[in-house]
Amino acid sequence: MSTPTGPITSRFDPRFEVTLYRHVGVEGAHTLEHYLARGGYRAARKALTGMTPAQVVDEVKASGLRGRGGAGFPAGVKWSFMPPVDGRPRFVVCNADESEPGSFKDRYLMEDDPHQLLEGMLIAGFAISAHVGVLYVRGEYYLAYERLQGAIAEARAAGLLGRGVFAAEATEETPAVAGFDFDIVLHRGAGAYICGEETALMNSFEGLRANPRLKPPFPAQAGVYGFPTTINNVETFCSVTHILDRGAAWYAAMGTADSKGTKLYQLSGAVARPGVYELPMGATFRELIFDLGGGPSESAKAIIPGGSSTPMLPWREDTLDLPMDYGTMAKVGSMLGTGGVIVIPTSQCMVDAMANVVRFYAHESCGKCTPCREGVSTWLPKMYQKLLAGLGTRDDLDLMEDMVRNLRGTAFCPLADACAMPVAASFQHFRHEYEHLVDHGEAMFPPRARWTA
Amino acid sequence: MKVVVDGVTLDLPPGTSAIDAVFAAGSDVPYFCSQPYMSPIGACRMCLAKVGAPRKDRDGSWVLDEATGEPKVFWFPNLMATCTTAVMEGMVIDTRSEQVKTAQNGMIEFTLINHPLDCPVCDKGGACELQDRAYEYGEGISRFQFAKRNQEKHHALSDLITLDRERCIHCKRCVRYFEEVPGDEVLDFIERGGHTYIGTLEDGLPSNFTGNITDICPVGALLDTTSRFRGRNWEYHHTPTTSLDDASGSAIVVDGRTGRIERIKAGHRPQINKTWIDDGTRFGHEYAGAPDRLRRPLVRHRGELVETTWPDAMGFVAARLQEIAGKEIGIAIRADATLEEGAAARAWADHLGTGQLDHAPRPAGGVIHGGGHARIEELAVAGAILVVGDPTEEVPIVDLRIKDALRGVPPAPQFDHGAPIADLRLKERMPRRRERLTVAAPYRTDLMRHAGRTARYPAGGEAAFFRALAAVADGGEPDGAALGMDAATARAAVDALRAAETAVVVLGGWVLASVAASEAAAQFCRLVGAKPMPLGPMANSYGLELTGVLPSHARYAYAGMLAHARALVLSQLDPAVDPAVAQRLAQLDLLVVHASFLSETAKLAHVVLPAATGYEKDGTVANLEGRLLHVHAAPVDAGEARDFTGVVKAFGEAAGQRLEGRSVKSARRLLKKALGVDLDALPEAGAWAPARRAQARVALTTHAEARPAAPELALRVPSMARVEVLDRNPHLRAAIGGPALRLHPGDVERHGLRAGDEVTVSVGGVPRRLVVRPSEGVPPGLATVPATPDEPVGLVAIDLTRAVVERHALEVA
Repeated sequence: MSTPTGPITSRFDPRFEVTLYRHVGVEGAHTLEHYLARGGYRAARKALTGMTPAQVVDEVKASGLRGRGGAGFPAGVKWSFMPPVDGRPRFVVCNADESEPGSFKDRYLMEDDPHQLLEGMLIAGFAISAHVGVLYVRGEYYLAYERLQGAIAEARAAGLLGRGVFAAEATEETPAVAGFDFDIVLHRGAGAYICGEETALMNSFEGLRANPRLKPPFPAQAGVYGFPTTINNVETFCSVTHILDRGAAWYAAMGTADSKGTKLYQLSGAVARPGVYELPMGATFRELIFDLGGGPSESAKAIIPGGSSTPMLPWREDTLDLPMDYGTMAKVGSMLGTGGVIVIPTSQCMVDAMANVVRFYAHESCGKCTPCREGVSTWLPKMYQKLLAGLGTRDDLDLMEDMVRNLRGTAFCPLADACAMPVAASFQHFRHEYEHLVDHGEAMFPPRARWTA
Repeated sequence: MKVVVDGVTLDLPPGTSAIDAVFAAGSDVPYFCSQPYMSPIGACRMCLAKVGAPRKDRDGSWVLDEATGEPKVFWFPNLMATCTTAVMEGMVIDTRSEQVKTAQNGMIEFTLINHPLDCPVCDKGGACELQDRAYEYGEGISRFQFAKRNQEKHHALSDLITLDRERCIHCKRCVRYFEEVPGDEVLDFIERGGHTYIGTLEDGLPSNFTGNITDICPVGALLDTTSRFRGRNWEYHHTPTTSLDDASGSAIVVDGRTGRIERIKAGHRPQINKTWIDDGTRFGHEYAGAPDRLRRPLVRHRGELVETTWPDAMGFVAARLQEIAGKEIGIAIRADATLEEGAAARAWADHLGTGQLDHAPRPAGGVIHGGGHARIEELAVAGAILVVGDPTEEVPIVDLRIKDALRGVPPAPQFDHGAPIADLRLKERMPRRRERLTVAAPYRTDLMRHAGRTARYPAGGEAAFFRALAAVADGGEPDGAALGMDAATARAAVDALRAAETAVVVLGGWVLASVAASEAAAQFCRLVGAKPMPLGPMANSYGLELTGVLPSHARYAYAGMLAHARALVLSQLDPAVDPAVAQRLAQLDLLVVHASFLSETAKLAHVVLPAATGYEKDGTVANLEGRLLHVHAAPVDAGEARDFTGVVKAFGEAAGQRLEGRSVKSARRLLKKALGVDLDALPEAGAWAPARRAQARVALTTHAEARPAAPELALRVPSMARVEVLDRNPHLRAAIGGPALRLHPGDVERHGLRAGDEVTVSVGGVPRRLVVRPSEGVPPGLATVPATPDEPVGLVAIDLTRAVVERHALEVA
């Protein structure tokens, strides 16, 4: 079989190799010894001892890496928003508050390969001239916290964090290596989804109430403690490690026109083999669900492409052939989000599923702005309660659709949209299930025990 | 910047918020979370509008609309909260389209689902932003079919403020207010999502500025406890006037109903108090309606004071005065009397031919001494401030405006619709430039929490303090003991004052009380190029000094007339609280007391005349900056109480003469001649008093300034709450816990006292009833006692060994 040419868009392309998750699931992979033995900190050394910060930013820009936290903003461009160095403190923040239902990729990155993340943060810190990294890890991820704690201690002991990183490596040829001061503050969250929103995360880190902040100013102007800050997701930093190690061209050779590189997709729901799969950008749902996930475990009716906040797509042949990249998902009216693909089985009442999603966002609303506090957190869950109790009417459905319209784009931060979008999509594709429920007083697909073996 | 709002083209300065553009264009959007003088946060989502702007190409030229050839307007994908959006060149704002109407409607609906709609029993009804906006922008029906949130409806945040948690719409104005304006973070959100509510720590709202949250609450969630359930908004008569509680000249609105003052709200005076007032000003009005107010004149008949009429009372006075030589008669008025009352007093003194005329309290150093005073607006933008005193208690607005300077955002220009609704330069939790502020006092003052440098100099050592600081400015060695701070700190404080473009030195009452300290302070100000801001002791201290309500000779000053005059007319003064003075007053040939209550002095009087309080008179005052401001009478039923012009009028009628100063109008004719200002034509913002020296008829008096030779010293300190009427202001008294005798905990123990003990103790020869409050902030060996107009600030002797203690405790049998 000849080597294919053109961009790599399939895991089965022989040129593709698992990169981010190479060490995940390997016994002892979280140790520095294991990491160094397999080329660990090579990328950081290359960047810190042989490149200028601007060159690092340009390399990341050239790779086409887009932020893996959900919004997909080009990482290099974000880094270049940092103001010129002016003596004030600067921060690089890692958003490890992975909380979106259907997302569980960062957890294993941190548990099994923490040094990959630390190295990415070190490179990012160097690129934006920040000497302090803040690693805000979701409170429930206790093993990840322990592993990170251990990894940071190991890295400090090995001189890979702290004062003058790589200073010892100055040679006759490269005497300019003064070493780079960089350390990481590890902070555990206390269990709030809203802390995944970057400015709420910063408030929480500072010990304030976790409300999102007004933007502008964006974090690059005023982030942690009001100082210039760059914030990225765990997977983004891990990707940076490999981009610096193997070059932007290697990374950009994977993926589609607007989405480059390798991506972690999380498959859950009614599939034979749920889990995290690394694929190049632009791989199809079919490849993920059938070739890797073993196909649906029962008849399916919808796919949520990127975590519970992204609008679902109906389960159809043409949907399965869609490449999972940012542009395509936007084109079909959804979002790639975190890449948390959820397969919803036909037997699952869609109203019940949405009630579950809404209840989550209702619980997690911070209460700062009116539509989210009163709509998402109060009214919408009550409406679902009413429907599921068999007391709903057709008028209620119109009311809910209208309410969701009022929630779209009116709230302070994306949390209300995150709740409204899947609900709106469920009305778009599965209104008949809602109608059946209100007309008959019982669901089209009655509840059943699902999680028994 | 060119901005088009609903078809109206405006030219606005950069940085203007879109919501101010909307109001400037005469359009309207509803809003609940934005509040003038506070940061915009975009939380209520009511002010959504459709916003678009042209874009520039890479080459810098506008992207043009192919159809029209004009710059093409690119609409933002979502509706924008106009309060957090800055205008851009060519921005187009649409507040009237269906999309906007639907969104406004939806937001009103969301806001109302958990609001109890108990408007018929709500004190805010009729003056409620939510009510108004719901009528204007709501559908008028609710689609919410579920039970509303049930929360506490009568939660006492403090003795002065009641919170109804069901009515709260979470606009965060009150929470932001405390952090941003007084810097006292005493309120915050608790819980999250639909469960969010406002709460405090357990110890109430420890701040001098809590009442303002009741003004800015857009609903009836935060209410002034003193006025709760007392009336409906449309029944109140609103009288905009000037507060006479301190020398700031703050704007207030007196709300009265059926002849009673029910509440006081802050007025808007951007140059002075913006929209804020302190709690003493807001809640200290209950005394005006106290049941023991004097409502009719009294005359002594067979040893008893009996009610009479004004003509009878003044007939008695006129007859008695005829038997006394004019120069034996003394007239003294309190320093919060209006200029008109002062002019009347002076006209009467001239008529009687006496030089024994004065106002009190009048600090020895004077309040105009030296001139060149800083204006409050300058204070608010000062690059360096030195405070010697305790302005948080003395003139609380000065405290707030100092905090403006620390925020470092100069006041925004006013729009036609008032102060900017959303000043985008203001943010939550702004870093404060504490290094701008140095605070010095003999004890730990509240303002010290915000100061970059603090000093605790010995009580009574103000003159030495300024001399030592001047020595530092001259490059000399700092006298650490006199300064109460180390050398580096003192040098930094002086350097900051020198370096700042606008530097202000705030002079509290202790400085003004001493001629030596006043002169040392003036000299220091000249040395470092700073402007002084003397805090006059009372509302019109500046004006009365300026217009010469002063004795013709030092020995005729207030203290002298108390000791030597044969007849006295005292307005609102109560010198008989001092038993020694009372003894002397009892021997007078005639004592006429013009007072609102039967004071100790009134009890000794031959004639007692009911006096109008500061809420009940028309007139003019000059605040500490020398700004002339009008005072307006609220329609309060105060019986036959009159101001001092009324006293002069009644005397003239009894004596058969038309005296000058017999009315506000007549007094203003005198003042026009004296000042060259027509007080009838004062603008709303006031006007500057002529910048000439006081028409002093005497050189400033020099009192003995020796430290009292007593085993223990008490420092009489300024108090936000007027202590002389505190017992008649029950809510305020409960909130501040009575007049405090603050002692170092060691001293409390040494005297066998306990926190909360009520003690009667002689302070400067005057028996005072005080509540013991141990405080680490007071140096050992010093007691602090709140001052009153009759016992002004300063160092006096205290005899704690003979304190009579009343201890209130539950005794278990």
